[in-house]
Formats: sequence, C-alpha cells, structure tokens
Amino acid sequence: MLGIMLQKMWHKKWLNLSLLLGCVLLIATVVSFPLYQKAAYDRMIQDEFRNYIAKEGKYPSQLHMRNISTREKGGATIVKLETFQEQICEEMGVTSHQNIRYYSLATASATSDMNRADGQDIRLSMGFYSDLDQHVEITGGSMYSHDDKDDVLEVVVPQETLVSSGLLVGETLTFEALNNYKGDPVKIRICGVYVPNSEDPYYWQLTSQDMYNQCMMDEKVFREYFTGDHAGKYTLTCHYYTQFEYEDITSEQIDHIQEQTTYYLEKSKYRSVLDEPAYYGILNEYLRKVNRISATLIILQVPVLIMLSAFLFMISGQMYEMEKNEISVIKSRGSSGGQIFRLYLYQGLVLTIVGALLAFPLAAIFSRALGSVRNFLDFDTARELHVVYTEQSYCYGAAAMLVTLLSITIPAIRHSKVSIVNLKQSRAVSKKAWWQKIYLDFVLIGVSLYGYYSFHKNQTDLSGSVLAGESLDPLLYLSSSVFIVGTGLLFIRLQPLLVKLVFTIGKRFWHPASFIAFMETIKQGGKQQLIILFLILTVSNGIYHSTVARTILENAIDNTQYNDGCDMVLAERWDEVVDSNGSKTGAYVEPDYKKYASMPFAEGYTRVYHDEAAYVPLEGSKNQVITLLGIHTREFGEMTYVDKYLLGQHYYEYLNTLADNPRGALVSENFKTKLGYKEGDTVYFSNGRKTAMSCVIVGFMPYFPTYAPEKTDLNPDGTSFTADQYFIVTHYALTRQELGTLPYEVWVDLKDGTTTEEIYNWIEANHYRVKKYVNRNDDLEETMEDPLLQGTNGVLTMGFVVTMVLCGVGYLIYWIMSIKDRELIFGVLRATGFHKGEILHMLLLEQIFAGVLAVLAGIGIGTLSARMFVPIIQTAFASATQVLPLRLITNTGDLHRLYGFTGGVMLLSLAVLVVLLFRMNVTKALKLGEE
Amino acid sequence: MSDKIMIKGAGITRVFPVPGGEFQALKGIDVEIGEGVFAILRGRSGSGKTTLMNILSTLDDPTDGDVWLGDENVRSLSQRARENFRRKRMGFVFQSVSLIPSLNAYQNVEFALRMAGGRINRESALRVEECLKKVGLGNRMTHMPAEMSGGEQQRVAIARAFVHRPSIIFADEPTAELDSAMAAKVTETFKRMSREENITVLMTTHDVGLMGAADEIIELEAGERIS
Repeated sequence: MLGIMLQKMWHKKWLNLSLLLGCVLLIATVVSFPLYQKAAYDRMIQDEFRNYIAKEGKYPSQLHMRNISTREKGGATIVKLETFQEQICEEMGVTSHQNIRYYSLATASATSDMNRADGQDIRLSMGFYSDLDQHVEITGGSMYSHDDKDDVLEVVVPQETLVSSGLLVGETLTFEALNNYKGDPVKIRICGVYVPNSEDPYYWQLTSQDMYNQCMMDEKVFREYFTGDHAGKYTLTCHYYTQFEYEDITSEQIDHIQEQTTYYLEKSKYRSVLDEPAYYGILNEYLRKVNRISATLIILQVPVLIMLSAFLFMISGQMYEMEKNEISVIKSRGSSGGQIFRLYLYQGLVLTIVGALLAFPLAAIFSRALGSVRNFLDFDTARELHVVYTEQSYCYGAAAMLVTLLSITIPAIRHSKVSIVNLKQSRAVSKKAWWQKIYLDFVLIGVSLYGYYSFHKNQTDLSGSVLAGESLDPLLYLSSSVFIVGTGLLFIRLQPLLVKLVFTIGKRFWHPASFIAFMETIKQGGKQQLIILFLILTVSNGIYHSTVARTILENAIDNTQYNDGCDMVLAERWDEVVDSNGSKTGAYVEPDYKKYASMPFAEGYTRVYHDEAAYVPLEGSKNQVITLLGIHTREFGEMTYVDKYLLGQHYYEYLNTLADNPRGALVSENFKTKLGYKEGDTVYFSNGRKTAMSCVIVGFMPYFPTYAPEKTDLNPDGTSFTADQYFIVTHYALTRQELGTLPYEVWVDLKDGTTTEEIYNWIEANHYRVKKYVNRNDDLEETMEDPLLQGTNGVLTMGFVVTMVLCGVGYLIYWIMSIKDRELIFGVLRATGFHKGEILHMLLLEQIFAGVLAVLAGIGIGTLSARMFVPIIQTAFASATQVLPLRLITNTGDLHRLYGFTGGVMLLSLAVLVVLLFRMNVTKALKLGEE
Repeated sequence: MSDKIMIKGAGITRVFPVPGGEFQALKGIDVEIGEGVFAILRGRSGSGKTTLMNILSTLDDPTDGDVWLGDENVRSLSQRARENFRRKRMGFVFQSVSLIPSLNAYQNVEFALRMAGGRINRESALRVEECLKKVGLGNRMTHMPAEMSGGEQQRVAIARAFVHRPSIIFADEPTAELDSAMAAKVTETFKRMSREENITVLMTTHDVGLMGAADEIIELEAGERIS
C-alpha cells in the first residue's frame, strides 16, 4: 500500500508539491500567530514598564504595605506581615528583585549630652532601613555597629537631618520620655552622616521630606529593642516594599499576577495596609489593549485561514478528479472503498507531517517578519522580535495539522465511493453547486449588510465601547470578510449568465473558437467556481486590506499632525507676582522671550495664547466653554497648515482676513450653526480668569490646528456622549492688550532632522521649566509604533503575501489541469482543422471569462467593501483620536503590486498553455480516447 | 458515383524511428477511392490502418509517396492549408467519444458548419436538423453528449461529419466501442448518408460483420496491402 501511495504521489508530483505548499503555509500561518503574539506581547509589556520608568522614575513592579502597629498586638502583626512579604513573590510566581523594610518609631524629643547654646528641642525618629549599610556612603564619622554599646544605640543620620536638627557627629542623645525594655530612657549616639549612594536606583524609597528628622540604626539592634516582645510598648510605622523583576515577566504570567494582586487588594487580610501597586494599573491597561489586539488579529487572520483551507480543498479535489478513473478501475478490481480511503488518508498524513516539519521553522520566520512589518508591505529588519515556541504554539500547530489533514482527506470520502457506474452517471448530470441551492451567497450578503447597518445605526455607541476598551463586536469585523465571500459567490452565480448574455448578442457571428469558449464557460462553469472565487478573494482582500492598513496609518498620521498643531509646542512655568503681604496678584513675570532665538533647531517660532477654559456667556446664566487662541497670524501661518479640502478655501485666506482686522476673530463653524452668530457679529467672551473681551467675527472655520469639532467621552455610568467643541482665534497682540500678559505657549517649527536630544539639551541649558512639551515627531513615532497598528499591518501584510502565493499556484494548477483534462477534445478539434492559434484564441477567451472577469469583480468587490467597511475598522482603532473626517487611502503602489502580480500569474499560465499546446501531438491526443 | 478519384495514395511509406532502428509501418501502399464510394479499410491491430488513415487525412506525413485529395497534392499544401482543407472539405468520426461535452447534439453538429465557415441562419438550421434526422436523432437534438448512449453519440458525430457537405469523411473505428447491433446500425447510417450526399467515406474497422456494407474493401497486413 505504501509503495502504491508513494508511486501515486510521485506520478502527480506537482499536485502533491502544491498540496505540500498549502499544508506548510497553513500550518506555518497558524503557528506563527501564537509565536508572534507572545513575542509581541512580551515586548509590549516591557515597553509599558520602560515607559512607566521613563515617566515616573519609579520601579514599576513593586508592592508597598504600610502598617502602623498598635501597641496591643504590634509584635504579632509585624511577624505576620514579614511572613506575608516573604511569600509574595512565590505566590505570584515572579522572581524577587529585593525586599525592603523600613521601620520607624514615632518622633520623640531628645536632649543632648552636650551643653548646647541654642537650647533647641531636638525631635527625632529612630528606625532602620534594611541593608542600609550597602547602599549609602558615610560622609562623616562611621557606620553604626551591629551591637548596642552599653545600651547606647548607634545611629547614622542623613545630611538633611544633621543640618535641620543641628546635630553633631559623636553627640549622644537621650529620649527622656521613651524607655527601653529595661526601663531606662533610650540613648542614641550619632556615629555618622550618610548620603544615599546606591547602585540600585530603586532601592531608596524615601523622599528628602521623609528624611529630615530620621536616624537609622542597625536592623538587629532595632529589632532587639523595639520589636518582638517589646513591640507592644511602641508605636511603629512599618513599610514593606516588595520588588520583583519586571524584565522577567512574560505575557503568560500576567493573568496570574493580576489575579493574585486583585486578591491581595480586595480579599486578603492585608488589603487595608496595601497600596495599589503601579504595575497593577500598567498590566490592566496592557490586558485591555491585548484583548483588543487579540480579537482584532484573530479576526483579521480568519480570511487567510479560510483561503488556505479552500486551497487545500481545491488542489486535493483536483487530484481526486484526475484520479477518478484510476479509483474506479481499482474498485472494479475488487478494492474496497475503505482501502482506497486509507490510501488517501496515508497520503494526507505524509503531506501533513512533512508539511509540519517544514512549517514550524517557517512559522518562526513568519512571526519575525510579522514583527518587522512597519507599514503595509514594508518590512524593517532592524526590529527584532524574540520568538519562542510555547506549549500554545504546539497546540495551534496540532490543530492546524488536523485541519490540513481533514481538508485533504474529506474529499476522498466521496471519491472512494466512486465506481465506474456512478462515475459515468455523475458525468452525465451537471449539478447545481450546493451553495447555490441554499442561496448561501444571498445569506452571506444579508448577514454582512446587517452588520454594516447595525454599525451605522450605533456609531456613537461603538466609539464609546472602544473608548471603554471593549473589543468590537466580531460580527462587525467579520462582516467585511463575509461580504467579500458573499458577493464573490454571487458573482460566480451571475458570471455564466453574463457570459451567456454577451454570447447571445452575437450568437450567429461568433468565431468557432469564441463559440466553444463561450459554451465551455456557460456549461462547465462549475469547474471554474473555486478558482474564480480564489481570484476574487485574492484581489478584493488585497485591495481591502491595503486600504485598511493604509487608511488606518495615514489617518493616524494626519490626525497626530493636526492634533499637535505644529512640530513642537513648548510652555514654560511662569511665576506669579506676589505683593508685599505675600498674596498672589494674578499678574505674572514673563520669562525672557529672547531665549527662544537661541534654539538651534528652530526654523521659526511664535507665541500662542492658548486658553481652554475660556467661555462665551449664553442666555440665562449658562456659559459655553470654548478654546481661545491668540496668534500672530503671519508667524502662525508659516508653521501650521490645514488642508484645503477640510476648509473649503485656502487656510491662508482665513488668516489673511484675520490679519486685516485688528479686532477680528475666526470662530468655529458651530458658532454659526449652533449659536446663531453671523459674520460681522461681535462675540463677547471671557478667558479662564474671567477677564472679558470682545471680537468681531470675520470668518467661520470648520477646522483649525488642534481643534476637534466634537469630542466623544464616557459618562460616569460608562455610556458615551458626544459634545460639540468651540474655538475663537484672534490676535495675540489683542489678547495681551485686553487680558494682560499671561502665560503663553511657544509653537516651534523644527528644522528637518532635529533630534529629541537636541531639544532636551537646549531645555537643560536654559534651565527651562517645562509646563508643556509636545513633539510631533515623537508623537508620530508613537503612533506608528502602536502595537495594534503594527500587529494589524503585520497580519494584513502576511495575509496578502500568502494569498498571492496561493492564488498564483492555484491558478497555474487549475489551468494546467484544465488543459490536460481536455487534451482529447483539443485533439479532435485540431484533427477537424482547428488551427493552433484558434485553440489559443479559445483558451485566451476562457481565461478572460474566468480570470480577467474575476479580477475585475475582485477590484469592484474590494473597492466596495473598503468603502463600506473601512470606517468600521477605523472606529476600532482611532475613534478617540480621529478628529478629521476619515479619508480612505488607497495606495497605488499596493494596487500596482497586486495587479502586476495577478497579471504576471495570468501571463505565466498563458505561457504554460502555449507550451503545452505546441507540444501537443494531434494523433497522440486522439489516441488518448482509445483506451 | 462518378469516375472521379477522391482519394489517391501512391507508394506510401511510413517509417517510425524506434530504439535501435526503424519500424516500417507502411510499405509502399497504393490506394484509389472514387467519389461517393463507401470504402472500408480493414486489417488487424498493428497492420497500419490508423497510420494510413492519418496520412490520407493529412494529419501525418508519409516518409515517402504522395497523396492526392481530389485534385490537390497534399505534399504541396502548407500546414495551414491542410487545416483549412480538413475543416472545409473533410469530415471526421473517431473511435472514442469526440463530441464537445459542453455543446448539445444540435450545437455539436452546427459547430462543424461554423468551422467550415458556413453562415449560421435559417438555412443552416434546416441542414443541421436534416442531418440529425438522417441519423435518427431528430428528437434528441437538445441533449447533451453526457445524456446520450455511445451509439447515439457516435451518430451525432456522423451527422457532424456530414453537415458541411465535405468531399471526404474519414472514420477511424467508429463502431469499436459499440455492440454489434448498434455497430451495424451506425454503419448502415453511414453508408446511407454517403449515398444520399454523394460523399466519399473511408472507414477503418476490424469487425468482419460490417464488410458487407462496403463498396470497396482495402485490406492491410503488416504494412502491406493484401487486397
């Protein structure tokens, strides 16, 4: 049996190679998904932690407990908490970084043994900080010893305490009101001064404020005197810091870490002493993102997986079709259906196993490629992804193997039942496809349209749920795929009718070759259905996915550009003028404006008065909050831009009109539509400090840099709402004159290639007290690095490439088989005087009817579905930041690649046809029929 | 029938290269078949029937010798001219199913008319129907090949071979796949149509029972004509 099988496989090596290709691609695609996901999520977690460190400067994975022990059971509590702290890392399954403990007694008064002139009351708090000796530098005196010396406890004090309390090294202090366990007043000796000097930046947990009256002694000494059995005599404040290695945390640990932490915070008996740790919020945010990303990525992969299985079905179906004769002959010689089925089962097993062996390494390459995708069809090999095989990836692999095995062998069940008798019968009846009988095309289109309309009806809810971090209803995502498949099937139903229509028009005049091509297409359409569907799916998914990827990215970039307003926005902290009584006057000292001229990286800069709390009084006592901008029109115009398609006329025309009217203002369009203002009206308004002024409206603008016409936000109850936003833009000089000199922003036009470092250097060199800093390049970078966007581009790109490969192979195979299948007919035609050119003519027409029409249909369906569904997908990505009207972006480069590829495949298959045709020997072909 | 010679072969030799030498399939065959004659070419398997048939029908070239079809010396015709000759002035019936599966009986027959460059009009429709009625399939014109029996399909093929009024029809073992009753019926149809339309028919067969129908019998054995 094995021999027969191998012989059979060798005989049809091209088909089997194609099947193998399908298996490899399917398994590799499926396995690459968990690999990529894990690697990307691990990277994402680390990015989140690093971002936190960069922003907050604190250790992200730290739990903090603070307990003030009561006198009655202080000792017991301390023991419990210490035991608990020791268990935390183990319970959470993480690697400990360090455990830090800091205990201190309440502040108490002490007297010095020295006769001090100042007679100042010394108030100190004693405590210990674990492993302090390894993390400080003694700048005067010496480190404390590990023993008490005749009941005098040695302590070190920080520089701050030394200064604030006026202490001296070597001084001995007595706490008259604080007795030790022997009943004597506690005595300490200041043996040294320290400054924190730790190699570990996250060891030190105390601020200088915490430190100002602290003195630290050895942990052992402290415990001996103040904890354990003696704890009951004192009020102890105990801090427990548990740090675990954030760099070791991987995505699969997150759920457990969060569960455990939630338990600590909400249920455990220590909940009252625990602070909510920073990592808890970071990881919850991460999980929220991951949920969205996973849902999105899985759904984006579905069409590719369906195509892969369809490919396997198609190729194996083709193979069984070719082997029908052999199968029926084998059966007539007494083989059972079961034996034949087993033959194919073994073949499927061999293909699947060999496929899996090749697919696993390929999956790693795939996932690395996925991770390196920066933009659609744009790989950046510098972005490395650390790929590890996990249990999950093997499970996925096994599932994929099962699917490939089923795809290959299921058609065998039907074919193994074929005998010569029903073979002839089946050839006699050309049946309607099963999906046509159940009107699957209409059902699918109906379902997708339902998704489409329910989205349109609930667009605001959708934005709200995205804001709330929910993932989108999968039906909405899937509706596009379903729509594409449905319309593709509908096209297949209509295609023969379309061809028939053309045929009927010229029925009497068609050249014989055209005649046959028409009839072949009209009558034998069923055979072509899969390849046509394949072509349609390839082209339409290509267009659709390219549009999705490009639209999301370009819109994200556009919106970031627009929302930031210009290259860089800086605002400095201003000091308020204080009068002789020390109370604030509301006036400010304007920092030196000339220093901006020293920015080496600035092409230009301008002052902008920017007040988001300004308001226009409405009827009654209500106010409409507005954004007030005071600009220098020429300078502002030089560094900002709004596209004409958004404004209706050129941006500069608005600014010029404003420039011509010293008291003029440009206002948002809703002043006209919602508040009833007209051009020439005077608008009265106040800034955020309630200073009133007025301007004359010289123009209404729908958009202005940084202005969002609407804002969708969440109500406390979780429902979303959309509110109109208003703005008034007037002259900076006027605002200064009317409102006084108030803190302004400086908008900067950066020279190309300016690095963030250059900016930081300038900020540092000028002792600039940053209140606001916006850098468009950084924001754009962040936009492009968004993991959801990256993952989407990755999946779409891989899907596109895989689909194209499949389509190319599938198309070629289909045509080669179709020729081989019809050799006899071609022989007959040639014998009866058909020229080679005419056969070519016929095949060319058939290709046009099947291939070209399918590609055209694919273009139409792809474009249509992009128009309909890309706005849905966009909502999932950026409803919160999408301010500008959505622009559908179709990248002509992508389309050229797509058309070039499909055209190339068709030309190649045509070339193969020509070769086959010219190698065909008429008399041999005729012999084919005489078995 | 007239005295006009429609098929003439003189000294036809065909040599095929085989591993380690040559195989002489035909050894100087001479044939002459007159207009309207229903001739049968007989011989055992491997006697050279099909080779001779292929050469006479211009599908193959003789290694030596000449073929005239009507007044044309085939050797002087280009490949293209031969193809045109075949589609306009010849009809073919093959052993195996040779109908185009996507065309029904009527369309299959009409297709030969289209190939021969005939106009498709009322007149042509009548001709197609006439031919189908002559082979006894007037009531099955819209059936697809797959819906017909082997004998019926072969009769459609005969109608197709006659429809464009060729000068010569070549039929290579048209009855081989049929039972003897059906074979006799098909041969009878052939013969009748040949007579009615005054068309020369050369048919190969190894079925001795059919010889009675022939106006002329050419018998081959091992590449040589023996009668």
